[in-house]
Order: sequence, then structure tokens, then C-alpha cells
Amino acid sequence: MSQTASSSPSPAARKLGRLVHSWREPVLGLLLVLPPIIVLILLVLYPALEALRFSLGFVPADNPAYASGLDLVNSNSGSLEVFKKLFASSFFSSNLALTLRVSFVSVLLLVLVSYPLALFARFGRGKLAGVARVLYLLPMFVPVVIATYALITFFGDNGWLEAILGTVGIPYHSVIRQEAGIVLGHVWVGVPFAVLMLSSGLDGISNESLEAARDQGANAWVVFWRILLPLNVVPLLIVMTFSFIGVFGSYTVPYMLGPSAPQMLGVSMALNFGAFRQPQQAVAMAVVSFVFCAFAGALYVWSTTRGRKS
Amino acid sequence: MKRLLPVFALAALGLSATILAQSPIKLSFYSSGDVNVKNLWEQNLLPMYQKKNPNVQFDLIFSQSGTGNQATLDRMAAAKKAGQASGIDLLEGPVLEAGEAGLLVAVKSKDIARLSRVEANVLARAKGFGVPYRGSSVVLAYNSSKVSKPPKTLEALLEWIQKNPGQFTYNTPDTGGSGNAFVTRVLKLGLESKDATTFETGYEPALINQWDKGFDTLRKLSPNLYNGGQYSKNNAETIQLLAKGAINMGPVWSDQGLSALKQGILPENIKLMQINPPFSGGSSYLGVAADSPNKLEALKFLNWVLGEEAQAVIVDKMNGYPGVKITAMPADVRKKFGTIAKSFSFGFSSKFGADMNRLWYEKIAGTPQPQR
Repeated sequence: MSQTASSSPSPAARKLGRLVHSWREPVLGLLLVLPPIIVLILLVLYPALEALRFSLGFVPADNPAYASGLDLVNSNSGSLEVFKKLFASSFFSSNLALTLRVSFVSVLLLVLVSYPLALFARFGRGKLAGVARVLYLLPMFVPVVIATYALITFFGDNGWLEAILGTVGIPYHSVIRQEAGIVLGHVWVGVPFAVLMLSSGLDGISNESLEAARDQGANAWVVFWRILLPLNVVPLLIVMTFSFIGVFGSYTVPYMLGPSAPQMLGVSMALNFGAFRQPQQAVAMAVVSFVFCAFAGALYVWSTTRGRKS
Repeated sequence: MKRLLPVFALAALGLSATILAQSPIKLSFYSSGDVNVKNLWEQNLLPMYQKKNPNVQFDLIFSQSGTGNQATLDRMAAAKKAGQASGIDLLEGPVLEAGEAGLLVAVKSKDIARLSRVEANVLARAKGFGVPYRGSSVVLAYNSSKVSKPPKTLEALLEWIQKNPGQFTYNTPDTGGSGNAFVTRVLKLGLESKDATTFETGYEPALINQWDKGFDTLRKLSPNLYNGGQYSKNNAETIQLLAKGAINMGPVWSDQGLSALKQGILPENIKLMQINPPFSGGSSYLGVAADSPNKLEALKFLNWVLGEEAQAVIVDKMNGYPGVKITAMPADVRKKFGTIAKSFSFGFSSKFGADMNRLWYEKIAGTPQPQR
């Protein structure tokens, strides 16, 4: 703006103007991002830090939800007693083992189901591909609770699947209220995001490079293995890390479809916080979950920054 | 965030004060329980009362299965500590705990004329901090076309379960009172009689080893439950399992069982009975907050709830036991509850209850279950 002024200002004034100009933009930007940052600090970071302190034995007397818990570990200098107790409990270790198992198996199955669907969505032609493109998105528009009810009605005891299989005399053992039920629920819920992510990555690969490979005599498998998979590795890693974090911390699906015990950590945390009146144990479990999910998060950050460099 | 709370509370207080000045009395009513309790208030009792008292409005805040009760108590306690109004007028649910913390007014017959119709020991159970407006207890439901001689005692019931594998189950104790009452009843097997009251009203962690015998019994029971050790997810699922014939016996709440029979959810061949010693049950209490600015209106409402009109609705819609003495009710009500409205026992105190839930998961559900 100062350049268009008719009278040329003195060098000092120009310098000042530049300074104000260069100063105003970052401040404005900072002001704009301030509201979300304040919300983040007040509603996420501060409670998270307080929870971390609580798990280390600093019991806040002014927080009745924490201070009224049973079996509290009190320490003025911080101690790992709560975590020692947690890891000594076989109930917790079986819950953690179940959570890890379900998370890994769900992610693996999710990728195995979603990749072919994504390939079909990218390369499929005709009406069937169009139908598939609509169908894989469907779970995104069904609320999780409704979806789990639908799964129970279909796969549960005396459910539709059992009735259908029964007509041809095939015995069926319900997967609902079993580990497999949780995995089933997560795969169902996770498919839309995974396919969207993977197929948008596949869309970015030009037809020319694929045709060039075919001209060189590469078959479909080689094209997939040597071109599609390596060029689409970042979306794949994003799908895997996000799904892992989502499954690891899930509540609704394991609550509705999982067994009474062992439980996934999300369900166990809620029980400990409420029904068992063990807020400190619940918070310590949250800290442990955070550590596991932080590893997955680090993998995500590494994969995306690596993708940007190349 | 916590530091901001007083600011919010102050703002809310100012806001409610201005509203109060120019509009009818608004009673903020915190209640808890299953959906049937919510419907009782929302669709029946509150509209009935409002029709007669148009100047009163209710703001019903409902906590499903009582999961928000602790938060409500914490909120009242925090408000008291800070010397501010909690904004809560009526509390249904944990009146004993709230009353002992000095958060409720003690109900007296000079404020509530109909208090004399209430059983004295039921009133004493909440130390007079609320009126018992309805009752229910857990009873045993069984399929009479499959079970000709239902067990009449706890011992006989345990034996029946062992002899008839796969035909009984109960819900996890944290998800509903019916399974909770069954677990409580079995855990009471090992209690020393001198400590029984402590378990019901106090807390003494050192006494917990008296539960060992009960937990042992429950663990032995587990392979003979439905599907080789599956627990139902809540009160309603036990009823559903009974309805589809997946199990032939299970503990259910008297009110839920009777409602299900009335609506045809449970077929007629399902019968309800009480065993000896009885499963726990209890009355639901209604109390008035000590810091409520509308105490008089709230107490007036309590008196109305104990009246014939409201009690008849409770008996009819909820299939609950009336809150007043059964002798104060008409003959048809007395007949309806003939076989089950005997005395019921009481459950554990809330802290013992929390420990019971935890230990049940660790010792019963958490131990590897035999796979089919």
C-alpha cells in the first residue's frame, strides 16, 4: 500500500511501515488460531495434564470425581505405584492383550477388505462398479450404535444368519459377545474411510504410467506390486495408523459386541471410572492407551513427512 | 476449566434469578433409573401435577441407569462448598448419600402430611432424607411349562442351576439391579451376621474377604450358565432371553417383569416368585435439596406423590410396589402383589457395591471361561 502513495515517505517512515506490516500479519494469524488453541488447552491439554498428575499420585482435593475414588494412591512427590498395581493385575493384562490383538487383527482385515474394494472403485467399469462405490460408503452414514444393533440382529444368537444357514443345515456359532464380534464391528465401521483414502491415493496414479508398464509386458500382479502399492504407500500407512488409533480407543463397538470379560481398554476405563469407583486406575489406563496410540501417531507423522519430501 | 465453573454457575444463577422473577416456579428435578422411570415422570406424573398446579414447571434431568448420580452429588457438594446454589430442587435417587452430606432437607410430617402412610423402617432406611414413593424388588422369573417345581430357597436355586446347565443366567452386576441382586444374595452367604449392617450402610475394606465363599460359589456356577458362561448385558436382556426361551430361569425386577407380562413381551407361562431369603430390592426416594429456593413447592410435590392418585399411576404404569403401606392401597392392588410383595432384603452400600462390581469382573467374568 505504501508503494502506491503519491508522496514518497522518508526512509525512516518506510522502514517503520514495513515493520508494522511484517508484524501485523503474524499477529492477525495468531489471533485467528487463538480460539481453537484456547479450547484445546482448556478442554484437552489441561484435563489431560491433570489426569497424568492424578495417575502419578497427585490427588486433587478440589476435584470430587477424582478425590472420592476408592483405593487412591496419594503421593506428594509422584510415584509409579498406580502403574505398578495396574500391570500387576492379571485382569488388566488380559484386557490390554485383547485390545492389542483386536486392534492388529482389525487393521489387517480392514486393509485386506478395503484394498480390493479400492482397486475395484478405481479401475472397475460399468454398473457393478457404480453400485460398489455406493455400497462401500453406506456404513459412513449409519450411526455406530444402529450398525451394531444391525450386526447383532444379523449375526447374533437366533439371528438371520443362523436362520439362513439353518435352512441348509449348516451349524452356526454366534460371533456376537466374542472377540470376533468386536473385529467384525470394526471392519464394518472402518471400511468407508479406508476405501476412500486408498482409492483417492490410487486416483493420483496416472493411467499413462500403468499403460506404459503394460506395454512393457507387465501383468496385473506386477503392476499392482511394482507400481500401485509403492506409489500408494502413504495413504495405506494413514489408513493403518488412523484405524489402529480408532480401534484401540474404541468404546461403542466393543461395549455392544464384545464379551463381558476380557474387555477392550475403552470399556474397562468406563467401568473403572464409574461402576468400580476406581478413577485413578481408569486414568492410568488412559495414560497407557495414550502411549500406545502415540507410537501409531509417530508412524503417521513419519509417513506423511517422508511422503512430502519424496 | 474448573476455575471457570464458578463463573458459569454465577451466570446461570443470574439468568435463573431473572427468569424466576417473571415466570412460574421452575423445579429442577434430577432423576435416574431405567427408561420406565423416565416415562413415569415425563408422560404421567409430572403432566398430572402440572395440570393441577399450572404455576409449577419441571425441568427434568434424567440420568440413565444412575450413571450421572455421582456427578450430580459432586455438583451439589461443590456448590455447597462454594456457598452457591446448585440449581437442583428435587433429587430422586441417592438421597441417603446426599442427605448425609448435608445436601438435602430431612422430611418431616409437619411438611408432608401423608408421610404417616409410609412404612417407618423404609423411611428410616434413607434416614428420613427422602420419601419412598415407589418400591420394587428383584424376584425370580421362571418358565412354568419347563420348570414344574421352582426352587423356593437360595440353596435350592443354586442346586437347580448346577443340575440344569445352560438354563439360567444373570446380568453383569454393574449393568442392572437384577443381576446385582443375585450376586449380592450369593455373596451374603459368607457374611458374618455382626457385619451385615456394615455391608449395607458402611464401608470397611478389610471385611471384603467375607465374600470369598460367595465368589467361589459364583465361579462354580459359571460353566453351567447360559451358553457355557454368558452373562446377559442388562436387566432387559435377561427378560428377552426368557421370552425367547433361551433360558428358563433368571432374576428380574418385579416391576419390569410385571410390565413385560402385561405387554406380552413375556409369555404367560413365565411366572414370578420370591425366594427365601429374598433378593434385594428397595424403595426409590425423592428428596428436596437443602439449598433449593423453592423448598415449599418441592415439599408440596412430595406430598402429592404419596397421594392415591399418583400412587395408583405408579402401581398401574410401573407395576411398582406402592411407596405407601400396602394396607393403604385398594384391594385390587393388594391382590396384584400377593405372591411377590413380601419383604425384600437390602443391597450393599455404594462403596461396597463398587468393590463388588470390580471383584466380580476380576474373579468371575475375568477368569477364563470354558469354551463350548
